Amino acid sequence: MEHKSEENLRLLQLEFVGKILAGFTHDIKNYIAIIKESAGLIEDIIKIEKTPKNKSEQYIEIIRSIEEQIQKTNDLFRYLNRFAHRMDTQLAAFNINESLEELFALIQRVANQKKITLARDFQRDIPSVYSNPSIFQFLIFSFLEERMTNLDKNSIITVKTGIKGSSVGVNIFSEGVLRVGQDVQAMIPPEIRTFALQKLTGDISESNGNILITLPVSR
Amino acid sequence: MPQTKILLVDDEIEFASALAERLQLRNYEVRTAHKALEALAIINDFLPDVVVLDLKIPGMDGIETLKTIKKIDPTIEVIMLTGHGDKWSVEAGMKSGAFEYIMKPVEIGELTAKIDKAMKQRLTER
Repeated sequence: MEHKSEENLRLLQLEFVGKILAGFTHDIKNYIAIIKESAGLIEDIIKIEKTPKNKSEQYIEIIRSIEEQIQKTNDLFRYLNRFAHRMDTQLAAFNINESLEELFALIQRVANQKKITLARDFQRDIPSVYSNPSIFQFLIFSFLEERMTNLDKNSIITVKTGIKGSSVGVNIFSEGVLRVGQDVQAMIPPEIRTFALQKLTGDISESNGNILITLPVSR
Repeated sequence: MPQTKILLVDDEIEFASALAERLQLRNYEVRTAHKALEALAIINDFLPDVVVLDLKIPGMDGIETLKTIKKIDPTIEVIMLTGHGDKWSVEAGMKSGAFEYIMKPVEIGELTAKIDKAMKQRLTER
């Protein structure tokens, strides 16, 4: 029975990775489409324009657009690469702010589609924590996904980080209207909560639609 | 053949403006919209022959937008633009009256060939 439950959670984790990859590839395709059209436009202007005139300003503008899209593509690849490496070790020292920033970048498209703002209130110079980085992201994603599905448009989900004694706390709360029939208390599926508690080295508490995760500072 | 009027609907502003300019250089008359409701407002005023419609635009589901366009004027041909290989959406779009679909990133020659074919179809339907 326990084996079956573990297997189901592994499947949920795989789904999580799949969802992140789907969003990533969609964004990359869009950036490449812009790069392709911008480069094609320069080519067209050179080949097709019959009345030669000074086009340098337009070229510079298009080249800037290409550079911007390449930068966005590069940033997203960097985030994905780090995301993939989160699974290298079960327990490791990592920076929570960086881990959350990476996850936000990879799920921003979903939030945009649902018109939900993902707000960050990160304490600066926060110490590294010692925990399971992949499970931490899985847990945050499970919560954010549930909120993004059940909150109405124009809602705000805030993720706040801060030092709490010898731990680092992550507090997530939302402002907005839950869709009809949704329970404000129903947040993290119980099996994911139990699984995360087993794998993380910290604690999870939920109350009135808020979630607080505390992880020990790395020594 | 008269000059083809195209409405290009895509929420990626830079993509839409670059592609619009490339089509204009090929003697098409092009307008752009970045949201579904904006597109529907332009249709009433601009009366396009062909709409190139991204299926993931804000404001209204892409398939719903397509159905609304066909209700406004069934002879307007719609070419769906998809960046995510969403087979279900493409199938639903074709069933809802789309003329064709094209995947992002776009091959300009493939797109203009489909636009020209759509325009011929529209002229025979008129």
